[in-house]
Amino acid sequence: MLIRLISLIKKEFITIWEDKRTRAIIMVMPFMMFFVFSAAITMEVRNIDMAVLDNSNSFESKSLIEKFDNSPYFRKIYYVNGFEELKEKIDTQKVLIGVYINNDFSKNIKANKQVSVEIITDGRQTNSASIAGSYATQIINGYNMELTKSVSPVNISVRNWFNANLEYRWYVLTVIVALLALVVTLLLTALSVARERELGTFDQLIITPLSSFEILLGKTIPPFILALTVTSIMSFLAVTVFKIPFAGNPFYLLGAIAVSLLSIVGVGLSISSIAKTQQQAILGIITFQMPAVLLSGFVSPVEDMPQFLQVLTYANPLRFFIKITRCIFLKGMILEDIITNLIPLIIIACITLSFAAWMFKKQLD
Amino acid sequence: MEIEKGKITGLIGADGAGKTTLLRLVIGLLVADKGEISTLDLNPEKQKNILNTKIGYMPQKFGLYEDLTVIENLKLYADLKNVSHDFDKLLEFTDLKRFQTRFAGKLSGGMKQKLGLACSLLGNPEFLVLDEPSVGVDPISRRDLMKMVRQLISPDTTVLWSTAYLDEAHSFDTAVVMDKGKIIYQGSPHLLAKTAQEFEEKVIELMGGYKKEESLVAKSYVPHDIDMEYTVFADNLVKKYGDFYAVKNNTFKIKKGEIFGLLGPNGAGKSTSFKMMCGLSKPTSGTTKIFGTDMKENPTKARSYLGYMAQKFSLYGNLTVEQNLNFFAGVYGLNKKDKQQRIDEMIKSFNFEKVLKQKADELPLGFKQRLSMACAVMHNPPVLFLDEPTSGVDVVARRDFWNHITSLAKKGVTVLITTHFMDEAEFCDRISLFYRGQTIAIGTPKELKEKANAKNMEETFINLIKESEVKY
Repeated sequence: MLIRLISLIKKEFITIWEDKRTRAIIMVMPFMMFFVFSAAITMEVRNIDMAVLDNSNSFESKSLIEKFDNSPYFRKIYYVNGFEELKEKIDTQKVLIGVYINNDFSKNIKANKQVSVEIITDGRQTNSASIAGSYATQIINGYNMELTKSVSPVNISVRNWFNANLEYRWYVLTVIVALLALVVTLLLTALSVARERELGTFDQLIITPLSSFEILLGKTIPPFILALTVTSIMSFLAVTVFKIPFAGNPFYLLGAIAVSLLSIVGVGLSISSIAKTQQQAILGIITFQMPAVLLSGFVSPVEDMPQFLQVLTYANPLRFFIKITRCIFLKGMILEDIITNLIPLIIIACITLSFAAWMFKKQLD
Repeated sequence: MEIEKGKITGLIGADGAGKTTLLRLVIGLLVADKGEISTLDLNPEKQKNILNTKIGYMPQKFGLYEDLTVIENLKLYADLKNVSHDFDKLLEFTDLKRFQTRFAGKLSGGMKQKLGLACSLLGNPEFLVLDEPSVGVDPISRRDLMKMVRQLISPDTTVLWSTAYLDEAHSFDTAVVMDKGKIIYQGSPHLLAKTAQEFEEKVIELMGGYKKEESLVAKSYVPHDIDMEYTVFADNLVKKYGDFYAVKNNTFKIKKGEIFGLLGPNGAGKSTSFKMMCGLSKPTSGTTKIFGTDMKENPTKARSYLGYMAQKFSLYGNLTVEQNLNFFAGVYGLNKKDKQQRIDEMIKSFNFEKVLKQKADELPLGFKQRLSMACAVMHNPPVLFLDEPTSGVDVVARRDFWNHITSLAKKGVTVLITTHFMDEAEFCDRISLFYRGQTIAIGTPKELKEKANAKNMEETFINLIKESEVKY
């Protein structure tokens, strides 16, 4: 049995390695995406362009605008003459935000009367607009305090734990490691059986004395080892190249990644066991991957999803995978918490792998 | 090379000999690197638009839209060629009238082929190009097809017909024989040889000849010491899809050392039977026993007695010859010492020394087939299952292949083989003829020929099937 299994595993490694496309999937794709995404994906809003309609044109309004100019978040300020022009700037997405200062601005300030400044944001870009709006509010509040020279009685001091400066990259990279591991593992596993079926070699494999369990093992181990290696290298790069602090225990991380990958291998092999062609397998991957990413908590917090979707996320290996990598990296998650999060992954792995084995067996007998 | 007007010219050669490439050059689907082509006095490269209206082309796999019905396919091709929707004569000749509203994808192989031909005949082309129209088709459909072409074309129509069947080529006006991209013979096949069989001998001679040598594979085979008369046993095999019987009560026994052939038209159920025999498909009822072991009860053990060669080349193309041999030796559980010895024997028997480090995909077809065989006999199996092992292979390679098979059988290996080459059926000790899911005749080639009152296997096949149609 051992000889047969080793031969099968060896063959899997050779086929993965000799096929240029699969080699690229392991060697090039994850690392390229790792570097590209780490630079591209950010939810911070910087470099905001704004339009100002300054009807007051006074010393006071100028000093308010200057505050915007000095802020690191705002890049370019367009001065417009009238509402029409302001509207056009927002319409054409030249600016994300517009500020309207009325002509009684200076007069009312001097008279110590209430004064309004209107902020208009581009609601089409919901998230960026609300962030830009809050930056603008902060700036105006600051200006307010300066004017009244008042000191507010409650002093708020915010401290961000685990990521003191809220470095967005720390958050993104730890998640991307998990995302790319998902993509690589799914591709390697889902395509492997489907490809053999398409080429007719799967029949040849079935006719050999290999049992369905041996075939399953032979199809699980090589992609598992490769994905584990790729994921470990990415984690290492995250720490060394991108200087992400690593608060946890590296062995815990390795163990957690291994369990997570096993559950993804299970999903991939399940897809592969149903798909008749590689094309079908790819469709299967897409059908699984999109919701898996969207329901992982990466895009929006799981807690904010509707109840039934929250229940559904328990079947999503990526949800737990992301949580564990992020927390081990930034927080140094303790073993107990890790295990709590690993339990659903182990259950998913058991179910999917048994399903794949059952499908193979059904085709064998 | 020149192709005469108003004649049927056959283009003969194995897979990879360059037939399709030549056809595509002639009609302008490909552009030649060097040299000139003139088709109907037109340059296929520069005057393709004019040429297209004068040509009927049927590609391999017939070029039909499987999701359209028969009549929709015809209408589509008529519109593409800008001719009227007058299909009566074509439909009558092809006997497709009854199936007008059926999807092309649901037609049988023979019917698809007729429809493909009908589509290419629309607009009475001056030049008809058929790329292996008869590949994988049974003798009856092949005969019908030939009849159709001869009847439906006008006397001026030129036909270029590529094929791997030498007997078919022998019936053409002119034969062009290709090997490894070169033309090795051009002229009347009747001048070269009187009968189809002699023609084959002559072609083999032209290809450099075949010398029968002792099969080293058979020599290195170690007979299994077992006292058993029948090593393969099919017991009442049934495969049912819904209400439809793909295979009905199939029972046969194969003696030790016997070559047993499964023959039948496409869709007759021989592939299904074959798959059930080797455990690739689960029978609805009934079972098979290989070397005394029941496939249902102990599939792993039953399979370990089997050597299997699939229809298409289905080894790992990404692996080198050596890696393939290693892999199959491994999955059949050969231990280290035996493994190396067996691999060395295979390398010697099949002359793999020079191609060991080559990837299987890059091998010429003849070598691929040898490699399949090497992997199938690696573990010294007492039973060999071969599913159309010789389709697409050139005559010399086929001779070589049969030499190994007959030698192995002499040493006690039981062989179950399916084939659609009727001349190969003669090599079998016994044949089971399959039709509509049932065995309609079983016996030695000689017995069957006598029963059908026929000269050769092809006629036997046709007669017996017609006879059974009358019965039901």
